[in-house]
Amino acid sequence: MIRLIPYILYLLLLVMHRVIFKDLTSIAGVSISLSVLLVVLVAIYKTEITALWFGFFVGLVLGAGTPEQVGWYALTLTLIGIISYQMRERLNLDSLKARLLMVAGACLLFNLGSLLILRTDAFWYRSVTVALPGTIYTMIPAWLFFLFKEGKITKENFRSIF
Amino acid sequence: MSLVSSLLTRGRRNVHLALCVVLAVLLIAGTFNLHNRVSQAIVSATYQPFFLIKTSVSELVRSVDERDELRQALVDASVRLSMLEEAARESERLRSVLGFEPAVGFQIVPARVVAVYGYELPVSAVINCGENDSVAVDQPIINRDGLVGRVVSVTPGFATIQLLTDPQNRVAARIDESREMGIVRYQTGEGMVLDNFPVQGNIKIGDGILSSGLGGVYPAGLRVGTVEGVERPEKQPFCRVTLNPAVNFHNIEELFVLRSVKP
Repeated sequence: MIRLIPYILYLLLLVMHRVIFKDLTSIAGVSISLSVLLVVLVAIYKTEITALWFGFFVGLVLGAGTPEQVGWYALTLTLIGIISYQMRERLNLDSLKARLLMVAGACLLFNLGSLLILRTDAFWYRSVTVALPGTIYTMIPAWLFFLFKEGKITKENFRSIF
Repeated sequence: MSLVSSLLTRGRRNVHLALCVVLAVLLIAGTFNLHNRVSQAIVSATYQPFFLIKTSVSELVRSVDERDELRQALVDASVRLSMLEEAARESERLRSVLGFEPAVGFQIVPARVVAVYGYELPVSAVINCGENDSVAVDQPIINRDGLVGRVVSVTPGFATIQLLTDPQNRVAARIDESREMGIVRYQTGEGMVLDNFPVQGNIKIGDGILSSGLGGVYPAGLRVGTVEGVERPEKQPFCRVTLNPAVNFHNIEELFVLRSVKP
């Protein structure tokens, strides 16, 4: 049970982002896809089954506001979790660029999938104006996270800026 | 062995995957109204507390903004109120001045005090009339209560006046009733006094003191003050007379310059 606590906290972080920070951090309607980022990060650093179930629950939390789409979100993010894990197994992810590309791919896949799930009009237009910028925007926190994880950003570095 | 392990691992993964897919399909299909129940449970368990936090913070921010706006409005209203009160007082004063008659042979030039100088009591002031308004040195200054002082220096737009409270200032005066004369001056520590009034003179408390017109600066008949106290010391030629000034020098605002009209 204790092992589940970090994942519950990730889910609460996701909810907090959606309720409080999404509006504050979005630029011209483009926001960070924290849900995909969390699923990919769990897939990179945890086991396949963990990534699978985490993706499923992230999908449930993400789609809770729209009950008709909750199943689609759960299915999409489950698949993203499992695909990300398989990619991690098959690719060399030592390079930061490779990891960022994987995040970008998963994010783009999810954003396009969301447009399909929501049955949005002008799919191609919104792909260019929402899905693609959202993917690029999501790469920024991913990049910062990987730098932090590799120890390239430390508290001392951060303090030295000020 | 590794093949068996791999198969077992994959099999376990496939079971989990199948379970996830089945649950997702059930949610998509809306079987047993599952999607609504799950959504409601998740919303109330996870989203609800954050919605409450967000609403509370928004209300708090709005309250703070509202408080600042109200505080600003209160300050504005207080300033406007004091300006209106001041305007009302000014209006009252000016209304009482409307029936003001200048001394015979003089024209009045209305002026406003723009600065007052003095330590405990004002002794000089600056008015917003000057040479451009034909104000000149030694012209008397009055207000609706009586004599205030005289002009001592002039610039095109302003004039400096010496008030009766300046110890250097002297006014030739007489008692309203008895017409006996003396010299009014201000003495530091004692206030306004009437000098050179003989002990045999007819003077009593409450008598009015007017300018006598002697001396050439102040015209006759301007109210200077009233007798407040009289002492007749023995073996002294003059009384010791203290006066209550007709003008309150602490609140002089609207004044009049008396300009002589040449025939």
